[in-house]
Amino acid sequence: MIRILARRLAEVAIFLLLITFVSFLFARMAPGDPVLSILRVDDLSVSAEQVEQLREDMGFNEPLLVQYGEWLADFARLDFGNSYISNQPVMDMLRGGVPATLELTLGGLFVMVLVALPLGSLAALYRGRWIDQVSRGLSLLGAAVPSFWLGLILIDLLGVRLGWLPTMGRDGLHSAVLPSVTLGLAISSVYVRLLRSSLIDSLNQENIRAARARGISEPRIFFSHVLRASLPPVITVFGVSLGSLIGGVVVIEVIFAYPGIGKMVVDAIRGRDYPMIQGYIFVMAILVFVINSIVDLSYRYLNPELRLKGKGRV
Amino acid sequence: MKSGLTINKTCATKVFLSTFLILIASIAAYTFLILKHDPSFVDLNERLLPMSWQHPFGTDHLGRDMLTRILLGFQLTVGYGFLALLLAVAIGVPMGVIAGFKGGLIDRLLMRVADAFLAFPDTVVAIVLSGLLGAGIENLLLAIILVKWVNYARLARSTVVTERQKDYITMAKINGLSEWRIMLKHLFPHLIGHILVLASLDLGKIILLISSLSYIGLGAQPPAPEWGAMLNEARPYFQTVPALMIYPGLAIVTVVLFSNLLGDYLRDKFDVKKEVAE
Amino acid sequence: MTLLSVQNLTVQAGEAPLVSNISFDVQKGEWLAIIGQSGSGKSVTASAIGRLLAPNLKAQGKALYNGKDILQLGAKEMRRLRGTSISYIFQDYQGSFTPFHTIGRHFDEFLKAHFKLSKARRREMAEQALESVGLQPEMYTRYPFQLSGGQLQRSSIALALLTKPDLVIADEPTAALDSISAFKVLRLLADLQQETGCAMLFITHDLRHVRKHADQIIVIKEGAVVEKGDKQSVLDQPQHPYTRALMEASPSLSAASQLLKGDDTACLYCN
Repeated sequence: MIRILARRLAEVAIFLLLITFVSFLFARMAPGDPVLSILRVDDLSVSAEQVEQLREDMGFNEPLLVQYGEWLADFARLDFGNSYISNQPVMDMLRGGVPATLELTLGGLFVMVLVALPLGSLAALYRGRWIDQVSRGLSLLGAAVPSFWLGLILIDLLGVRLGWLPTMGRDGLHSAVLPSVTLGLAISSVYVRLLRSSLIDSLNQENIRAARARGISEPRIFFSHVLRASLPPVITVFGVSLGSLIGGVVVIEVIFAYPGIGKMVVDAIRGRDYPMIQGYIFVMAILVFVINSIVDLSYRYLNPELRLKGKGRV
Repeated sequence: MKSGLTINKTCATKVFLSTFLILIASIAAYTFLILKHDPSFVDLNERLLPMSWQHPFGTDHLGRDMLTRILLGFQLTVGYGFLALLLAVAIGVPMGVIAGFKGGLIDRLLMRVADAFLAFPDTVVAIVLSGLLGAGIENLLLAIILVKWVNYARLARSTVVTERQKDYITMAKINGLSEWRIMLKHLFPHLIGHILVLASLDLGKIILLISSLSYIGLGAQPPAPEWGAMLNEARPYFQTVPALMIYPGLAIVTVVLFSNLLGDYLRDKFDVKKEVAE
Repeated sequence: MTLLSVQNLTVQAGEAPLVSNISFDVQKGEWLAIIGQSGSGKSVTASAIGRLLAPNLKAQGKALYNGKDILQLGAKEMRRLRGTSISYIFQDYQGSFTPFHTIGRHFDEFLKAHFKLSKARRREMAEQALESVGLQPEMYTRYPFQLSGGQLQRSSIALALLTKPDLVIADEPTAALDSISAFKVLRLLADLQQETGCAMLFITHDLRHVRKHADQIIVIKEGAVVEKGDKQSVLDQPQHPYTRALMEASPSLSAASQLLKGDDTACLYCN
């Protein structure tokens, strides 16, 4: 178990090193001057001295490698400083944003399970019948519809035209409904197909026939024997495709003006708010590490053979 | 009964794919030969017009012709997608082939890096890179390449590793062919099918990524007629003119649907196993 | 008294018949062996009786169990019948168990599905059943992958006999075991049959398994019955050339029993 965690941690470290190094290399070629964008926040005319002063303060005059070293050192100390825009400590802002993002992610997952579980199961149990065709069609379409566009349509229909649900901000649980539904629908199409094929595999196993021969009821067979056997491939893909989830959250937070870390980072990128961006990278690294480790460990729960490995036969 | 269904499915896919190819051809012909409007031509007297012969899809909030912009957006969005994909393949495949052939330290190093990048979702990489470099389509494309080449490197490596152990490679070696010649002559034909399948499935995902990030302002910037950026620009007018919301979205859906169906079709045709798709 | 009467059973995969017009009776408490090579349709017959055929296979005809046609039963009655009156032992002992459930959980689930018993009583019954097949009660908490093939097949026999069925359908229960385990499992099965008095429908391709225990024999070739009768007449005066060929192809059991001489009651796989 420690090996798994160490491996995952090493991956995060390699990634951070590489991505920051590549960006610092490219930074030379990148257009735009962060100093100018910071000063322009106040929309005042800026003097050349002011620019130079700020540039000096922020270390932008240092050679690239020194800047890179300082970035790494800051990062290691978890000292992200204050946001350029709001002038509040980045850590405090993130602390406010993380719960909102997690709430949205969990909401999206909940909707995904609500959609994918019945649709995938029905398609597997009645394969070749109309419900299977409908599920195939829906998931093909679902994979092609951009989540932000779906969000826009839902806002327009349910929010604006029908006025059923709030479309902006975070104010109580009902304001999380539309964003969660959008996120959940956007990610569910993959899982519908995956669950279907995995369930069909497990349904054809001998142990299901054996359970039927024992007169176990069909619902019991499905939930206790088939479904659990179908989960490992689904969890693998879930682990790999966290991108569509964590990334999807960013887009959806922006559309629904939902004050999570995704919206914060997009605002930060627009305003070239480096401390905030660093904070976001840090939170993402932690999140990816935690989720991937949980995925790894969940295999051990689902497969007793892995869990008991080393204990040997009787 | 089962075979009947499969035939129907493939048949429907084929019809869709060929219709779409014809559509692309006509779009290309239209945009290159008889483009009537300048996509960035602003005419504030002709703002938010409904459909007409003059403007089949109406006009946007600056009086620009929607049809023209949608069609140019096709070039832009799909073009960016192709470009990123091509570069990712061009970097990833040689790396993977070398790693698979040489083995040892190079191989281990490459696989470590690949694992590290796979641990991070593509959208997050794109956002992080935009954060460090600034928003813009170039940085977005860089991020996509940075994420995607890993898939192709892994695919190429695993193909090389499996194929190497087969008898015909040994035979070729016994016959005195050099390793590079073997690679060129025997491995690449094997690789191409797998890469085509993965690439066509990836194209859809990349297009979705580009347009999503362009929508939130981290990709193509207005006034470029990229579909996501168009939606971003037109957002204040959705309630009054829903067409501004409908057309670019439908354009994205159609193109991504096409690329996914093409990927499915190629996968069946090349009989590539499932793991390639994941 | 006739327990099961199979009448004109035909199983088709699409248009192609796998089994055509098979009829036979199983009397209460008797051991009926169905013999045939692989692909002869014997396993399909066994599955058809319990309605366990793959969805692409269709069965016609009748299978009267105590006078009631199994093939016409409703889902609920079918479930009851499978749990309490007819039970199966399969060749694939690994496939008889769900890999991520303990052996005990299979017993528990089985009892829970058919009887109202306390939790402690269910566990007690399961452990007794395990002991009756020569396994330690500790096996209750083990996972299938922790048991050997012989132990697993013993467990599935214990499971099959747990609810005291009137008919046990054993579909090549020893074919996947090594010859020593096979011999022992077979003898265990015979002993338990004597003890409980259940009828046995025993599917095999191996005549050795038939000589000792069977009362009646049916020989199947290409989905049709070529010979049937009581053991003595079929084995001593085989009428059909196919039966004779099967007999010549099968070595005698004496080799296996020599191997186990002096080791008759000990159990290799216990402890």
